[in-house]
Amino acid sequence: MNRQDLQLIAEQTNIKHKQYKHKVCVCCGAGCIFSGSKKILQNLQDTVKAQGKKKDIEVVPTGCMGPCNEGPLIKMMPQNTIYQKVKNEMVPAILQSHIIENKPIEKWLLFKNSKQKPFINSLQAPFFKKQRKIVLKDCGDINPESIEDYIVSGGYKALERVLFEMSSEEVIAQIKQSRLRGRGGAGFPTGIKWETVNKYVADQKYVICNGDEGDPGAFMDRSVLEGNPHRVLEGMIIAGYATGASKGYVYIRGEYPLAIKRFELACQQARKSGLLGLNILGSTFHFEVNIRIGAGAYVCGEETALIASIEGKRGNPRPRPPFPAEVGLWGKPTLINNVETLACVASIITHGGEWYAQIGTPKSGGTKVFSLAGKINYSGLIEVPMGTSLREIVFNIGGGIPGGQKFKAAQTGGPSGGCIPAEHLDVKMDYENLVALGSIMGSGGLIVMDETSDMVDVARFFMEFCVDESCGKCVPCRVGTKVLYDILTKICQRQASMKDLEKLEELALFVKATSLCGLGMAAPNPLLSTLRYFKNEYLNYVNLQAALQPS
Amino acid sequence: MSLLDIDERILDVAKLADIVKSPIVDNKDLPEVDVALVEGSVTSDEHYHEIQLIRQRSKVLIALGDCAVTGNVTRLRNVFSKEEVLKHAYVDLPSNDSQGQMPSHPALLKLHDKVIPLHEAVKVDYFISGCPPSADTIFYVLFELLNDRRPHLEQEGKLKYG
Amino acid sequence: MAKVFLMIDGRQVESEPGKTILEICRDNGIDIPTMCHLDGLTDVGACRLCLVEVEGVSKLLPACTTRIQANQVIHTQTDKLKKYRRMITELFFAERNHICAVCVSNGHCELQELGYKVGMNHVHFHYLNQKCDLDASHPWYVMDHNRCILCTRCVRVCAEVEGAHHWNVMNRGVQARVISDFNTPWGESITCTSCSKCVEVCPTGALWSKQTLQGKMEKHPEKIAELMEKRKMSL
Repeated sequence: MNRQDLQLIAEQTNIKHKQYKHKVCVCCGAGCIFSGSKKILQNLQDTVKAQGKKKDIEVVPTGCMGPCNEGPLIKMMPQNTIYQKVKNEMVPAILQSHIIENKPIEKWLLFKNSKQKPFINSLQAPFFKKQRKIVLKDCGDINPESIEDYIVSGGYKALERVLFEMSSEEVIAQIKQSRLRGRGGAGFPTGIKWETVNKYVADQKYVICNGDEGDPGAFMDRSVLEGNPHRVLEGMIIAGYATGASKGYVYIRGEYPLAIKRFELACQQARKSGLLGLNILGSTFHFEVNIRIGAGAYVCGEETALIASIEGKRGNPRPRPPFPAEVGLWGKPTLINNVETLACVASIITHGGEWYAQIGTPKSGGTKVFSLAGKINYSGLIEVPMGTSLREIVFNIGGGIPGGQKFKAAQTGGPSGGCIPAEHLDVKMDYENLVALGSIMGSGGLIVMDETSDMVDVARFFMEFCVDESCGKCVPCRVGTKVLYDILTKICQRQASMKDLEKLEELALFVKATSLCGLGMAAPNPLLSTLRYFKNEYLNYVNLQAALQPS
Repeated sequence: MSLLDIDERILDVAKLADIVKSPIVDNKDLPEVDVALVEGSVTSDEHYHEIQLIRQRSKVLIALGDCAVTGNVTRLRNVFSKEEVLKHAYVDLPSNDSQGQMPSHPALLKLHDKVIPLHEAVKVDYFISGCPPSADTIFYVLFELLNDRRPHLEQEGKLKYG
Repeated sequence: MAKVFLMIDGRQVESEPGKTILEICRDNGIDIPTMCHLDGLTDVGACRLCLVEVEGVSKLLPACTTRIQANQVIHTQTDKLKKYRRMITELFFAERNHICAVCVSNGHCELQELGYKVGMNHVHFHYLNQKCDLDASHPWYVMDHNRCILCTRCVRVCAEVEGAHHWNVMNRGVQARVISDFNTPWGESITCTSCSKCVEVCPTGALWSKQTLQGKMEKHPEKIAELMEKRKMSL
């Protein structure tokens, strides 16, 4: 396939879609599948067929639409009307009333049972209105298992432009200009990383896409891989072009079978269409992608451990420097970016770095995908511009706290992050501001806690996670986290003294300062931040008499 | 008993201090003292109350020997539960007759689940580790304390494990 | 080759480029405690004892794996580093069941020496009291996990010097254990060549020769560096 073919596919697919008068999108993200959307999809297709409307109504499985706990969701196009908690028996009525009689069924509309007013055009609801979708642009609108659908929505256009109109330096310049930063958590400027890898001369370089999303309560990368795998693939190929790499690896955790399946399919389709392999789109650029499946170790999300894992070794991190950009996979210069980072690339190329940079804050360009979970009315997947306040996310988009409870804190960055208490609800969410509050942006997991949450127990939960997930290589993380966990348990059992509390803080700072990799360095964060904002809860637990009792 | 390892230097100590309770001075009471040297780890309720009492009645408390400082061999049982340990000792061992049974008399001390070194039960001022602890170090610590000086035990040469 | 100048602990030192911070410190008589490092083996930066402060770098860097750069200002003996080294040592002792009084390596133990060096007079963290196994199935040697500190010197010497790849690590975190082959008894191993290199490099009494009495196990880890040096010369 060459450039003209790409255009042809877009045109042909467009004509095909235009034959239909109506389109019904059925969310087939992992959440909706779990609540039964596959049956709804089948039912819709059968019903349409039985009614002889196959030529009028197109039924499309799509990726995640966002409000996951209202699933299964179906979206009626072109009105953008989303129906929530769809059941089989509702299908004929929706088809009849919504499509044939053009009368939306109000009682089944998205957000019907909440305080928010439901909208015929669901995108008018506050949940969607404050969002800005770049990474998730086509997610929930197109069939993730169809390369044609991706191409018709502008897919692979950026790649084409890069291959035929831009030098690698020009690509990197756009990425730098966009102020895109690593979405995996650390927030390293992506353009500088690309430039560094590009600078090294080697017979072989690699691009790795990190899809080993492991934070409890995080499902951003999963949704992107499931909802629009071609977007990630396109980003990878562009990254390969910009850095001079001809091989790519996608590391997806084994717990995401659907993401693996869809990405695998995307690669096959791309290969068949000449978008992967030798002479991509007829250019002189070659790029091949392999998938590696993670076996369940959280630490393999750390880049050096991930590289070891791809090499077939035990997934242990190693000290940096040297950084993977210099000595990476099999000792070669390697670019390693997170799924979401790579999913931003195509849009940046299409619209320009300047456009992307203007969306965010001066230091953090663009948008960020968050997965809302915990004590919040609408848990699900959202994408907002960098710098959106936490209050906006929790109360406007997320619809606030259920059950009349009060907001207590939000945990960002999972077991590596910290909590943000109510007094900082107005914080503008970007990398610097979150670090200043003792948390981190992390990969985008956002767990909301209400007044019923016990913050010491929260710290203990995350510490237990780190004890389990520490690889055991370095002493501070291997032994330190266990000792910290034991002390936290002692505190929760009201057996601890003030001396234990001092020991806890001393050891937490030590583990943070001396651990080998990000896991250990960040493991004390939930503890330190709950200690910072909720010290009273710790003090309430500390038994002043404990020192005088048998242990 | 390691105190006796300091040999004739005990006379120097005796010049400066009265030894009011020790295995060689049989005194059932524990009076208020300036310095207490405590051997052994805390393994039972009796030990626990005893060390609390010693702490209350002494100005300076010194953990003497590896058992007091680390738990040492007594801590080896910590990888088992208390029940396993008692059953092994009183029922399973071949030296027990077929009627071996767990001790249960109320007058007996009650074993704690885990053996702990002294500093996990009370505040300890100085640690003289070693199994046995070095006689020179014992004398050094006592001599310094009795002359109102602060002994420094963190330095190389003063430390000994095992 | 051009010389590189650096400041270490307020002293100006010079070196060839490409050396590690640990190498240049040892060249200049600056003592940094180490445990996982052994001359002749690849460094892994796991024990964290050799962490140093480098001005302009916010993180502490392991001296064993970090290569020097010109004009670096390095501090190796700050109060903070000394405190951390002591804490690491305490965690080593707290992790498993190091009962020096009954150990074959008592008096010849690198972990003991480390404790003396960092001034550890007691362990102020609680002991983890982990239940660990002992493998005495090999006709000549014993692996006692109670005394293992997971420095992985045995794993590396077996892979890099002997080329047998008999030792490995399984499990994660505090559950991590050095294993023989696929966690099978050492005595049944077909990969082990019984060369004893692992025993020689083990810094504690975790690996020892049978029929050794308490305190009588003396080891010679320095032999590995000599061996590697001789191999280089013969090439």
